[in-house]
Amino acid sequence: MEEVKEQKKAASKPKNEVVISIKGLKKSFGKKRVLTDINLEVNRGENVVVLGKSGQGKSVTIECLVGMLVPDAGSVKVFGDEVTEMNEKQLKELRMKIGFLFQSGALFDSMTVRENLEFPLTRVLKIKDEDEIDKRVKEALEGVGLTDAIDKLPSDLSGGMRKRIGLARTLIIKPEIMLYDEPTTGLDPITSREISELILEMRKKYKTTSIIITHDMECARITSDRVVIMDEGKYVAEGTFESLHKSNNEIAKSFFKDIS
Amino acid sequence: MAEQELELTGWRKWLASIGDQCVFFSRFLRNIFTGGFEWSEFVRQCYEIGYRSMMLVGITSFIMGAVLILQLRPSMVQFGQEGMLPKTLAVSLIREIGPVITALICAGKIASGIGAELGSMKVTEQIDAMEVSGANPVQYLVVTRILAVTFMVPLLTIIGDVIGLIGGFIALNFTDSVSYSLYFNKIVASIDYSDFLPAFVKTIFFGFAIGFVGCYKGFNSNKGTESVGVAANSAVVTASLWVFVIDALAVQITSILFYR
Repeated sequence: MEEVKEQKKAASKPKNEVVISIKGLKKSFGKKRVLTDINLEVNRGENVVVLGKSGQGKSVTIECLVGMLVPDAGSVKVFGDEVTEMNEKQLKELRMKIGFLFQSGALFDSMTVRENLEFPLTRVLKIKDEDEIDKRVKEALEGVGLTDAIDKLPSDLSGGMRKRIGLARTLIIKPEIMLYDEPTTGLDPITSREISELILEMRKKYKTTSIIITHDMECARITSDRVVIMDEGKYVAEGTFESLHKSNNEIAKSFFKDIS
Repeated sequence: MAEQELELTGWRKWLASIGDQCVFFSRFLRNIFTGGFEWSEFVRQCYEIGYRSMMLVGITSFIMGAVLILQLRPSMVQFGQEGMLPKTLAVSLIREIGPVITALICAGKIASGIGAELGSMKVTEQIDAMEVSGANPVQYLVVTRILAVTFMVPLLTIIGDVIGLIGGFIALNFTDSVSYSLYFNKIVASIDYSDFLPAFVKTIFFGFAIGFVGCYKGFNSNKGTESVGVAANSAVVTASLWVFVIDALAVQITSILFYR
């Protein structure tokens, strides 16, 4: 991988505690080799953006990270523990520390917004105190600026609102790591920007470490401490947004060519 | 699903599917007894599955009872056996027609409904969102639905049988004048536990098969919009087939146990 060496801004410089470590990750579906050699380390508090064309396996990487997919080879360590060797109970404990925001928001469409937010509290954290549940639901909705939507069904919400509620539901269990799967796809530029800024705000509030999968360059610019570019199942360039912008790497250039 | 990930074809795909179903069944069994039962969701499913199917089962059974009497009457009159009509209806309805017709209606309505619902939850990543948050989708979605169908199909069958007998009584009175008490006395005198018990037991298996097939097809559907339709369709076909297979087995076992 060509590493573009440039010092990051002091303000966004993360501490050097590695919380996610991926080495030699390989994954195929039938004859199709999706991940050929993925290597990545993410430090605590860092926002890493993964850029790549559609169908390159960006989402597969983060699905391996939470044990939804079993890799063919390689090592995936989160908080120093090997995910591929975890049993069901250990995986469940790990998942309680990781938030995963799906592309669609993945709200449970038979439940109201309140019930959606209560779900992880009652089923994952097993909180029984109604006042505590109510307090956390309202706090999460205030965080994403959608307190009025509490009794609405997902079908009554716009795309941006669904993403915000999805984010609130993910953050309600206060995860240490956030995985965002194309958080701004399908949204207009203004809403995309709002979601990107919300990601930064949530990082500040909840002190999360994040991997953001996207091909939205504006989202990458706003949210990233570091950007990695993926091509043909491996990371081919890495650096800050600014350094990759100036890079001579051909694949990086193709992503940044429309950025002024 | 194993066969999807490995792109299997032919008999290998069939064997992988059997393996998948065994794994799914063991997950279902394990989750009945571990991690707390979702009572509120179970009750909601009983209402959705049972109460909302009652009208359809009732109308169908009423017509079936009436039609059976109208069809049987000319033949019975020829032999001078019209007095046997209540008994003939009761035995055929309780032993065979009631359970099978109710099960087929439920296969069409409930298995397709569950297949489509869980299939669309899979497509919109709702099941993945549950799993990745550390909640247990099998416990919440599968256990409750399978047990609700297993519980409600026998109840629906009993209701259907009673309504079918009422339909028969009304149809009999189109041509003959039979009192309510005579009709029902003849029915009560003509059936015993060997008519009722095996029929009741087989409806439990019908219910389980319908719930299991619906959940399995929906839970393991592919990630594409057309797969929701495929899941619903194959759930109906497979569940209906299982109803006939279980019925054929049940009649053999009943013959050995009760009619020799």
